[in-house]
Amino acid sequence: MRVAYFSPLPPERSGVADYSALLLPALQERMDVTVVRRGAKKPPRGTDVALYHVGNNPEAHGWIVDALRRRSGIVVLHDFVVHHLIAGTTLGRGHSEAYLDAMQRDGGVLGRLLAHGVVDNLLPPIWEERAQDFPLTREVLDQAAGVICHSRYVERLVREYGYEGQISVIPMAAWPSVELGERLVPEGRSPVIVCVGYLNAGKRVPQLLAAFEQFRTRFPNALLVLAGTAASDVRIDAESLGEGVLRLDHLDEADLWRLLDDCDVCVSLRWPTMGETSGMAIRALSLGTPLVVSDVGWFSELPDSVAIKVPVDEHEVRTLTAALEQLGGDEALRREMSAAATGYARREHDLGRVADLYVAAIEEMAGGPSVRQAVLSDVARAAHDVGIDKNDAQLSEIAASVREVGLGN
Amino acid sequence: MRIAVCAPQVPFERGGTEILAEMLTRQLRERGHEVDEVRVPFKWYPGARVLSEALVWRLLDLDLEDRPVDLVIATKFPSYAIRHPKKVVWLVHQFRQAYELDGPEFGQFSQAPFDRATVRSIHRVDRKVLGEADRLFAISQNVADRLERSTGLVAEVLPPPPQQLDYRPATEDGGDFILSVGRLDRAKRVDLLLEAAAVDTSLQVVVAGDGPDRERLERLSAKHRLNGRVTFAGRVTDDALVDLYARCLAVYYAPFDEDFGFVPYEAFLSEKPVVTTRDAGGPLEVVVDRQNGLVSDPVPEAVAAACSWLTAHPDRARAWGRAGKETAERITWDAVVDRLVGS
Repeated sequence: MRVAYFSPLPPERSGVADYSALLLPALQERMDVTVVRRGAKKPPRGTDVALYHVGNNPEAHGWIVDALRRRSGIVVLHDFVVHHLIAGTTLGRGHSEAYLDAMQRDGGVLGRLLAHGVVDNLLPPIWEERAQDFPLTREVLDQAAGVICHSRYVERLVREYGYEGQISVIPMAAWPSVELGERLVPEGRSPVIVCVGYLNAGKRVPQLLAAFEQFRTRFPNALLVLAGTAASDVRIDAESLGEGVLRLDHLDEADLWRLLDDCDVCVSLRWPTMGETSGMAIRALSLGTPLVVSDVGWFSELPDSVAIKVPVDEHEVRTLTAALEQLGGDEALRREMSAAATGYARREHDLGRVADLYVAAIEEMAGGPSVRQAVLSDVARAAHDVGIDKNDAQLSEIAASVREVGLGN
Repeated sequence: MRIAVCAPQVPFERGGTEILAEMLTRQLRERGHEVDEVRVPFKWYPGARVLSEALVWRLLDLDLEDRPVDLVIATKFPSYAIRHPKKVVWLVHQFRQAYELDGPEFGQFSQAPFDRATVRSIHRVDRKVLGEADRLFAISQNVADRLERSTGLVAEVLPPPPQQLDYRPATEDGGDFILSVGRLDRAKRVDLLLEAAAVDTSLQVVVAGDGPDRERLERLSAKHRLNGRVTFAGRVTDDALVDLYARCLAVYYAPFDEDFGFVPYEAFLSEKPVVTTRDAGGPLEVVVDRQNGLVSDPVPEAVAAACSWLTAHPDRARAWGRAGKETAERITWDAVVDRLVGS
């Protein structure tokens, strides 16, 4: 079977590009995969099924959604909320009517009216504040022959959204071996806490800074490293940061790994969540770095043995401070969590296992409907031959058996 | 106890599973149980027909009000799809073409999306219907390992005793030919023995059994001018089989990744050593190199060398055959029935 693979790839800077760079070789060892060049409008001739990696960034994924609209296929849904993506591929291209339609499909008349407000510059963009209320995922799911996602959380959201096709939950893959760059953290500081990635309000940076300030009163030698490009909605320039905070810009992979390896705790907070999985958290797990995460979405599904979870509520800063203090003051706990993290990453996020799950999902989704149809035709023909028609009770029993052994829809 | 023994039946075929189901039924009856065999014809092609066959088993209803069935013992795909509150599976094998035989050499499914999805659907059915069994047993470690690899399900190993024939000990002067027993299909790799006979021109071979690969094997024999040294005996009676076992020097049995294989046990009960190969699967659980047989690389030269060595060392061949008999006699129906019924 030949698979057409649509995804951003390095040197593009995106989590999905990094993910695909890791996954692709393992997948190509197992099946015939053709990587589709950026901007292609449809799958190459001769391919049997297309795999579309869809995330919320219109720059990285706009062309992929365009291709998906032309030819349905399997969607790897990296974010459940794709409002920003859909806005970028409609409004962003001057197609305001398409955006209005998408909003109406998602939110009815209210959705359309709000969209009008955005189009006419009367309301702030919805994707900045209320994207999770209007995820616009339907624009993607309507064309999906099957969905692959990385968490039970997203699976549940997709089902609640009304999608009836097959869904496979496949964990993100962990990086099996890495190259470490130069040490970035000054010697002699402890404990070292890092927060890495695109730094915005959604990563709870203000809450982290507030918690760290309190934490430092008990751990004056502690260091907080904030690494990554900063969004405009948070102020984390060098002048605004207090003592004990090191600000680093975007890091290349080797430096990133070194930083995660040198730290004592990795903080990966999120709210609102777009249903995403954190590549950074996976990296930290594979190195055995204890995690502190928000108790939301995919992060909630992490075992308690590898991550301390902080609810997003009015006590968030206090709980976060307590979590940091617990880890900062207990080296034995950190060691215990570290061992659990590497074991969990090896077991759950093993690259070979993930690639095998991909092959199984692709094969089931590509040919599954035809197979089920063939079996049901067999049954229907036999039923018809003996005079059972579709309204007979016996047929319900047969249908139940079909579903019971996993052959039904 | 009222017990249903379930097995698929390839029409007009009689192989290992059929024999196993018959023997189990007889042994259960001898121990006072009321037993019936449930057989459904099995056809595994074209397309997704194999899945419809699983569904046929699923639709069987053994929940009889006046004569309730206390226990169902299912044996191989798709019979274990049957639904019953007390289901024990004694796994002979899954549908191997969807697992270890899936590939261009032995498989039936191509790389087309429909075929790939059929394979995945078989896996899904297996996970469901084997997962719901009260207890899972496998006839060999090889079968248990495959099951665990493919579904994550763990089965206890419970090897079946071979069919009870009137096995005779080896004749004093030993035999002079290598005997191959079994259905003639590619996976049994009788061609490897014929190629070995072409390498060592002193080897005498008798091939007992019939099957779809016979014509090709006969052509291969003619091509290597083995006529006179290789005899195709066809399907033989039980008496003739016992006689062949008694008169041969050693038994060749080297299928590719076999589930279990009764043949080595039958050979041992006839006090004959077994020549097998490192990739034979189930037979390797009972054939121990240089203790009760020889385990060679799966190439004609190595198989020829093993057979030649036995020809040159008849005393060792007899001693190894006797050692094998002790191993084979340890597997009894009492133990099998206790575990299946008592579980």
